[in-house]
Amino acid sequence: MDFAELTTDLIDIGAASRRVVPPECGATVTLDGYVRQFTGERETLYLVYEAHEPMALKEMQKLIDQAKQDFAISHVGIVHRLGKLEIGETSVVISVAAPHRKAAFAACEWLIRELKRTVPIWKKEVYSDGEVWVEGEADPGQATTT
Amino acid sequence: MSVDIKVLFFGATAAEVGQRVLELSLPQNSTAASGFEVIVDQFPRLKRHKLLHALNQHYAAGDEVLRDGDELAIFTAVSGG
Repeated sequence: MDFAELTTDLIDIGAASRRVVPPECGATVTLDGYVRQFTGERETLYLVYEAHEPMALKEMQKLIDQAKQDFAISHVGIVHRLGKLEIGETSVVISVAAPHRKAAFAACEWLIRELKRTVPIWKKEVYSDGEVWVEGEADPGQATTT
Repeated sequence: MSVDIKVLFFGATAAEVGQRVLELSLPQNSTAASGFEVIVDQFPRLKRHKLLHALNQHYAAGDEVLRDGDELAIFTAVSGG
């Protein structure tokens, strides 16, 4: 029931969330990450996401495997959007199903933090007066603890 | 003797070098790190960025010896999510 996917289509958050629901679970925590219009004062018109696709899928699967080792959770689903995204559209969904919600919240937070640090996906912010490929700060070689 | 690899660029690095894929011949026994240095010297604009490299879809340690057909990806720190 785990899944890691990339798509250029609109993401159906509800569908992604329900795909991880097994009978032993009591809660699914779903993160809906979407395109922010204002970063500080600057207005973004739209975003373009690009990935090293085969490597991104492998890195996402590694995160799922690690999260299932480190947290009391049952299933994880991750979907990341690629291509052009309008303001407010969902860029990433992470759903974590667990017998009890506490572990699901913790795992979901760890997963998004690690995804932003290690999965080879890049975001271009397009403004009315230019565009910039956003560059992360973190070094994927340095593992963070769960 | 040489080794032929494929170099991949994404996002900011693709914009800097003006291409996404580059075929490159390197001396036999070149490593991922030495291949990376050759590419950065060839495209000095890349030096404006903090770069990472991955060999065959895994983050590279650098000391891996390159073989024919290897895929070396060069990119900036990731910014998905």
